[in-house]
Amino acid sequence: MLKIVKRAEITPMQSMMQRCVAVIAALAAAAVFMLIMGYNPLTVFWNLIEGSLLSEYRFQQTINKTIPLVVISLGIAIAFKMKFWNIGAEGQFFMGAFAASYFALNFTFLPKPLLILVMFLAAMIAGAFWCFIPGFLKAKWGTNETLVTLMLNYVATKWIMFLQYGPWKDPNASGFPRIPVFDDAAVLPEVFGVHIGWIIAIILVVAVYFLLNKTKLGFEITVVGENIATARYAGMNVKKVLLISVCLSGAICGLAGMMQATGIEHSLTYQLSGGIGFTAIITCWLARLKPVNIVFVSFFFAMLIQGGAYLQGSLQIPSAVSGILQGIILFFVLASEFFSQYRFVQIKKHTPSKEVA
Amino acid sequence: MKKKLLVLALAALMIFAFASCGNDESTSDNSESQGIAKEDIKVGFVYIGAIGDEGWTDSHNDGRLYLEEELGVETAYMENVTEDSGCEDAIRNLIDQGCNVIFTTSFGFGEWTQKVALDHPDLYFMHASGNIQEENMSNYFGRIYQARYLSGIAAGMKTETNKIGYVAAMGIPEVVRGINAFTLGVRSVNPEATVEVVWTGAWGDAAVEKAAAQELINKDCDVLTKHQDTAAVLLAAEEAEGVSCIGYHYPTADVAPNSYLTAPVWDWGPYYVEQVQKIIDGTWESESYWGSEVVKLDTLSDLCAEGTEDAIKEAQERLDSGEWDVFYGEIKDQDGNVRVEAGQSLTDEEMLSLDWFVEGVIGTIN
Amino acid sequence: MSERAYIELKGICKSFGSVQANKNVDFSLKKGEIHALLGENGSGKSTLVNMLSGIYVPDSGFIFMNGKEIRFDSPNDALRAGIGMVHQHFKLVNVMTAKDNIVLGQKQGFFLKRKQLTEELNAIADRYGLSLNPDKYIDEMSVSEQQTVEIMKMLYRGADVLILDEPTAVLTPQEIEKFFTILRNMRDQGCSIVIITHKMNEVLEISDRVTILRKGESVATVNTADTNAKALTEMMVGYSMDLSIKRTETPMELKKPLLSVEHLVIQGDNGAKIIDDMSFRLFSGEVLGVAGIAASGQKELCEAIVGLYHVTGGSVKLKDEELVGMSPVEIIRKGVSMSFVPEDRLGMGLVGSLDIVDNILLKTYRNHKGITVDRKSGEVAAKAIVEKFDISTPSVHHQVKKLSGGNIQKVLLGREIDSSPQVLITAYPARGLDIGAAYNIYNVINEQREKGVGVLYIGEDLDVILELCDRIMVMSHGRIMKIVDAQSVTKEDLGLMMLGGTVDGKEAHYA
Repeated sequence: MLKIVKRAEITPMQSMMQRCVAVIAALAAAAVFMLIMGYNPLTVFWNLIEGSLLSEYRFQQTINKTIPLVVISLGIAIAFKMKFWNIGAEGQFFMGAFAASYFALNFTFLPKPLLILVMFLAAMIAGAFWCFIPGFLKAKWGTNETLVTLMLNYVATKWIMFLQYGPWKDPNASGFPRIPVFDDAAVLPEVFGVHIGWIIAIILVVAVYFLLNKTKLGFEITVVGENIATARYAGMNVKKVLLISVCLSGAICGLAGMMQATGIEHSLTYQLSGGIGFTAIITCWLARLKPVNIVFVSFFFAMLIQGGAYLQGSLQIPSAVSGILQGIILFFVLASEFFSQYRFVQIKKHTPSKEVA
Repeated sequence: MKKKLLVLALAALMIFAFASCGNDESTSDNSESQGIAKEDIKVGFVYIGAIGDEGWTDSHNDGRLYLEEELGVETAYMENVTEDSGCEDAIRNLIDQGCNVIFTTSFGFGEWTQKVALDHPDLYFMHASGNIQEENMSNYFGRIYQARYLSGIAAGMKTETNKIGYVAAMGIPEVVRGINAFTLGVRSVNPEATVEVVWTGAWGDAAVEKAAAQELINKDCDVLTKHQDTAAVLLAAEEAEGVSCIGYHYPTADVAPNSYLTAPVWDWGPYYVEQVQKIIDGTWESESYWGSEVVKLDTLSDLCAEGTEDAIKEAQERLDSGEWDVFYGEIKDQDGNVRVEAGQSLTDEEMLSLDWFVEGVIGTIN
Repeated sequence: MSERAYIELKGICKSFGSVQANKNVDFSLKKGEIHALLGENGSGKSTLVNMLSGIYVPDSGFIFMNGKEIRFDSPNDALRAGIGMVHQHFKLVNVMTAKDNIVLGQKQGFFLKRKQLTEELNAIADRYGLSLNPDKYIDEMSVSEQQTVEIMKMLYRGADVLILDEPTAVLTPQEIEKFFTILRNMRDQGCSIVIITHKMNEVLEISDRVTILRKGESVATVNTADTNAKALTEMMVGYSMDLSIKRTETPMELKKPLLSVEHLVIQGDNGAKIIDDMSFRLFSGEVLGVAGIAASGQKELCEAIVGLYHVTGGSVKLKDEELVGMSPVEIIRKGVSMSFVPEDRLGMGLVGSLDIVDNILLKTYRNHKGITVDRKSGEVAAKAIVEKFDISTPSVHHQVKKLSGGNIQKVLLGREIDSSPQVLITAYPARGLDIGAAYNIYNVINEQREKGVGVLYIGEDLDVILELCDRIMVMSHGRIMKIVDAQSVTKEDLGLMMLGGTVDGKEAHYA
């Protein structure tokens, strides 16, 4: 008989080991799955690496996919640190992209640096506002932010859809529902073949690290997240801390939307995010909300995404399979989280028949 | 302290990684095509849907398999590609994997294909259902409206309520043209019948399509057809009592055996073989192809009304004669205004930018 | 009382991770005895009884019943063998009646035979002298009534061995007396009772035998009649110690009014008055004790004084300055400091996952200029506090939740005292602590009194309140029953007043 028992605290070393074991187990499980599907797992793994790293173009693609993951994860991390479960990164991303696109489409007469700056600010304000709503509702009436942020995602996506099919539809697309492509002035410049979002991402990693670990606000966020009663006892204005940090969280997610629209898509579509706002929740969580870890975890996920696309072309593996691969790996890593807190023990059965002497 | 160092190291690493990448795409000039040896050709396909959709994507994938079989060239594909930068990604990934001929098979892929084509003047691009042409980029499509017209005849003869439902994706000329051709076909045999259009706003959203179909059934439509990528409309018809359906893109009698009449379908294989063969021979030139060879009407099922086969055969002969086409006058629009005088016909350009409905269609172009 | 052991535990071992909670524990229980399990927090009492009641399975060792080895895999197993446990935190469904709670989860027919059930329950109640209204809803019951329901539940289910985990902690002295009478009744009817407690006087009063546990091991089992408090304490803590709290008297002339609360009214979210027209004064150099049954408004009073709870009416003045309306931060700066140890200990005032430095910084971090947190000065302060209060920790960067209970509370109290407050409000500072650790805390409070700090002490243990405080303010349902001089009042009188009764006695000589 097996029983689940809570573990004593484990050391960082054990925790590292556990994750490594999880990844290896995941790869093994994925290998079995691929064998069943009739593919050679070694070839598939090699193709995953080859397809995500081993050419300039592929590496750039992987970086392109890393950038929004990193940025959104950072945004989420601020909210999560406070135990404000912001599941609404997707919506904040879209609102940011929407605000930036508004200026990109209507203010092309501005000089490029100014226009980009305006888009930047607009995206951050819009994202912040979209996260402020659930924050305010929570502060004021104690509503559940998980539900509100989740629902606001749909509002945001449908809003973009409405724009794309309605008022913002490109009149020159002969009826095809799409928003016009941005003017060059509204497109992020590239450095080393990748839009400058990567520089912004690096700056944000450092900034968020500094914010969470060194500043008073970061300290307050941590305390509020860990223990609201204590925060109040220490005289912190819990609502203020909550509102400031949800706005920061939303602003960063909104910024990611702007970068994706102007850096990659050069337009706005309701499919802009590709679900990245949800993937980032996972990366953020796996990185344990630590900015530096976020970079590595996001890069790893970007490799899976980019490598998965490559698999389709190179081995004719259906796109669903690479999705399953990602799922298996996630499953095992999450399971290892469970085992870092719990373990199974075997209960020895013995026959209760002995008489006392 | 350690962490601070780590952050800095990371930043340095990323910068280094980019720096070592360089940034220029190497370009070779587009000299006269010499042709490419068969074994060096790799043909990449970009699909909007998934293989196995028994629809638009399967029709192209059948073409791809036919191509492989006929010419023995290597192919690759990307499925479930979105009509945004995801398309550019997919094309570039295929090129990265050595594809030198690219077929992109959705209208919304056009500008992305063009963008990549301009970056790669030495490669060959063909885009289905669009209208963009470059030195190294063709567009190709079939006169599916002709098959639509023929399927309209089947519908017009089948309907008893004289109400026919049409579930359509979005109001672009291609779709409008199909609706008009279908309606003309219907009314050529049944001038009383009307065709009611419901828009779904997306090519492949089964739930919405099904809801739309049910709405039409509730409005008394007894024949349904669709301009969608999924079979949801057919399934809705199959479930309802006394409703027939006409498919699209792909022969799907097996999906709705008790309601399926026929379907305008694609046959891309021969066209793909021809194009790739031209590339091998070095005789390929970009074109804007809009032909009848790639379309046909699926075999009529036993559920068709009596006399359908003869009526369709007659119309087919008219088409084959080359002296008549679907949009020959006199044609009135919804408001009863004559848009095409008797003896006149729509030019290709007019057909390609069609933005009005013929008489007999109920609905507006959104 | 028969001489043969009814239940016997031999060589019981149980570990949780790296912690060995029970090491070779022996324990025996006779038919018809009340057996006390005595030990400090963490000595393994709860673990032991949890194995006896089937919640845990021992890693090794044997359990015998009537000489036969048995083994329980679940509480139901144990109950079938007649062993029932009443936990410290009751496991009752609030929106149901006593009767429903008692039959809940029992195998039964589709229809409840309600009438028959009531009769059965009444029979049990009569037999043991319990009083219970089976149709009363749990959420309308007092704590002691709820306890009766729990006991009744076990008896109804056929238990003749009852395990009671700290049953008196929630009761007033009068209720305890009544409760003990019931226990004696049950013993006389042949039940065996295991009672867990750390209150020496109760052990001496109620038990027939005592087993003492220390650090997971069974130290000894003695007949209660043959021992005394001092001997038991020594066995429990492992060394001899003085059990009196040194109360230092502050000369009257040094006592000056410090905090005056006048006609304070606090309303809860539902509009009900939690504190109703409360007036009192706290003097410098005194410890003013607050006695009252749990949730009589103590927490709200503390929070209102330091600006964390909305005050509906009245005033709170520090010397001549009105505190009502000030922000918590301003009140902290005025030198009013509060530490509240809730039931889960870490709940208020500390952040378990942060290290000592960050916890020390909680109230002072904002004094540093700029946007960053000054951890360097925090480290200096933390080291000083660790040294001064003798907190045992590997380093000041150790997570607070990994410290032992006593050290956690020292961090909390140490931080509050380190801010050199004029008024120190401290609630349950010794909650859940070992005797030694608790006396440490009392000494710290005494030191503050000597320094002229006004201390408002909210406590549970009336013995401690009587010994430590100068005056005692008795609260009942948000009202002050009386403020009495600690040296002129008995525990029984306090208990009576806590329940809302009045007592003729000497008023405090200053108020």
